Amino acid sequence: MEHYSILVVEDNPDDQILTMRALRNASPDSTIILKEDGQAALDFLFGNDASPRSAQLDSLGVILLDFKLPKVTGLEVLRRIRSCPDTDWLPVVMVTSSDEPQELREAYRLGANSFVTKQIDYSKFSEQMTVLAQYWLTVNKVPMVGASRSF
Amino acid sequence: MSNRWRWQYWPLKAKLVFLTLSISTLGILLVCTSLIVVENRTYEEQLESELMVLSGILAEQSAAALLFEDSQQLATIISSLRKIETIEQVCVYNTAGDVMAELNSATSATCPNLATPPEVGFVGDYYRLLEPVTLDGDTVGQLYLMSRLEVLREHIRTFILMAFTIGLTIQVALVWVAFRLQRLVSEPISELSSAAEQIAVNHDYSIRVPVYGKDELGRLGNAFNEMIGTIEHQNRKILASRDELERTVADRTSELSLANRELEAFSFSVSHDLRQPLRAIEGFGQALEEDCRGQLNDTGLDYLSRIRAATVRMGGLIDGLLVLSRVSRQAMEIQKHDLSAILEEIVEELHATSDDRPTEVTIQPGIEVVGDGRMLRIAFQNLLANAWKYSSKADIRKIDVSACESHGSITVAIRDNGVGFDMKYVDKLFVAFNRLHTPAEFSGTGLGLATVDRVVRRHFGEVYAESSVDNGACFYVKFPASVQK
Repeated sequence: MEHYSILVVEDNPDDQILTMRALRNASPDSTIILKEDGQAALDFLFGNDASPRSAQLDSLGVILLDFKLPKVTGLEVLRRIRSCPDTDWLPVVMVTSSDEPQELREAYRLGANSFVTKQIDYSKFSEQMTVLAQYWLTVNKVPMVGASRSF
Repeated sequence: MSNRWRWQYWPLKAKLVFLTLSISTLGILLVCTSLIVVENRTYEEQLESELMVLSGILAEQSAAALLFEDSQQLATIISSLRKIETIEQVCVYNTAGDVMAELNSATSATCPNLATPPEVGFVGDYYRLLEPVTLDGDTVGQLYLMSRLEVLREHIRTFILMAFTIGLTIQVALVWVAFRLQRLVSEPISELSSAAEQIAVNHDYSIRVPVYGKDELGRLGNAFNEMIGTIEHQNRKILASRDELERTVADRTSELSLANRELEAFSFSVSHDLRQPLRAIEGFGQALEEDCRGQLNDTGLDYLSRIRAATVRMGGLIDGLLVLSRVSRQAMEIQKHDLSAILEEIVEELHATSDDRPTEVTIQPGIEVVGDGRMLRIAFQNLLANAWKYSSKADIRKIDVSACESHGSITVAIRDNGVGFDMKYVDKLFVAFNRLHTPAEFSGTGLGLATVDRVVRRHFGEVYAESSVDNGACFYVKFPASVQK
């Protein structure tokens, strides 16, 4: 049984805490990587001049990507992920407050794997995170990347 | 091809020239002919009187010689006529009708026999005259004279030639004059006509025709110019008002699209930014309840649960507002829908999400309406959920949906036997955030019927309600015929 890690891209500190709390409850053993804006997420995925591409990428099972991010938006991050052969396979779940139909359409058009509207009721939100963690970390399979993944 | 030669296709210029020439030709011909006839007559009369005088003189001179039957004398008398070239024959007869003397230009000719008297006057190429010779009142014989008419004929021929030469000269002059004169009439008219054609083809109302004189043509030209001036003025006004209208429409359109974009941005912002703090309040409320339960007394826990409940309610309000704004700004996809099937689906969902079910829900099968499927679903979901909710306190709960069609418009009625409402508040019913019940009686956002109203109005229909307190309510949704085609 492999342990995939989760990349959470979330700018709001409150949401960061609540999301992390819900995910830890749902999947205590998983590695959760938190990036607080789009640019940081891109640097983590593709590397930059200061640091090379992260090795943690090899064990990434899913990205929980907030729709509304400062500077580089969630959709822009999604577009960049889908346009690079190293990352175009990565499962991306758009996690957002919104349920605007055109945002949903746009996200799927750019290749999101899932779209989740965060519930205001924390019990329900917690339930959502549990379902996500269970599905993407245990039910779903992703392709092998790098040497760390066994055949 | 043959049309070109028909009178109605002739240009005005040609018609005028043709008419002028026809009339003048006719005139000249008549004048020439009458002149020739008169000349001919005059010449004949003159010739006749000359010959009468001549024969009179001859008769007078011959009278005595005839009385004595002196042929010698008579021959001498008439021989004097040889000098006159045109005299063909002269014969003198006695009373018995015998020829006493004769003068012939042609040798073969003989004097006519008086037993059958010759025709006198102008006959053929000759003028013949038979004159009695008298002496003291007694007839002593007859004088016959025959004159050739070649001089007369020659004269008339010359005269005809002269007349026609003059006529032709006049005609040529007239042609020139006609060509000059027709311009006076045809040019203003052809200018008018070509101006009118140009205006008709190019819609150029700045064209004016030159005006000559004060006659009917001048007045016509003035009237034409005035008319075109009026049209130009009106055209300018129309074009100006059209441009103004287009500018206004463009302004309104850009204002509208700006407002729409602002509404989109606002909705986007509400969707994301207003929900986020609520989630934080709710989330940390629950976290507080879970993690710090030991440090709070019962009152604190009650407050906390109230905070959380209010947060969830506000979330519901935001959801309702977003639905309301979405049905206002969403583009509509109009097609025919089986409303009965949609209603059945909604009832299934309500059954699944609520514990207390109505005793009886009847939906008339086969109701078909034309509209936007998503919007219709939202509207009827609200109406059915209301019927569901407000009938929840009755012992036997009945919900009934029926439709009737008249003149192409369809009216759908949703009837329940619930608490109903007082008709004096009917105006407040469809206004956002207006509620007729306290949250303790019935929960609700106050946005459902406002959303129904918005959807129905976007379908150019109307929604109205009939009710009385404790006697149930009936909501009617009327879709107009124009949309139901």
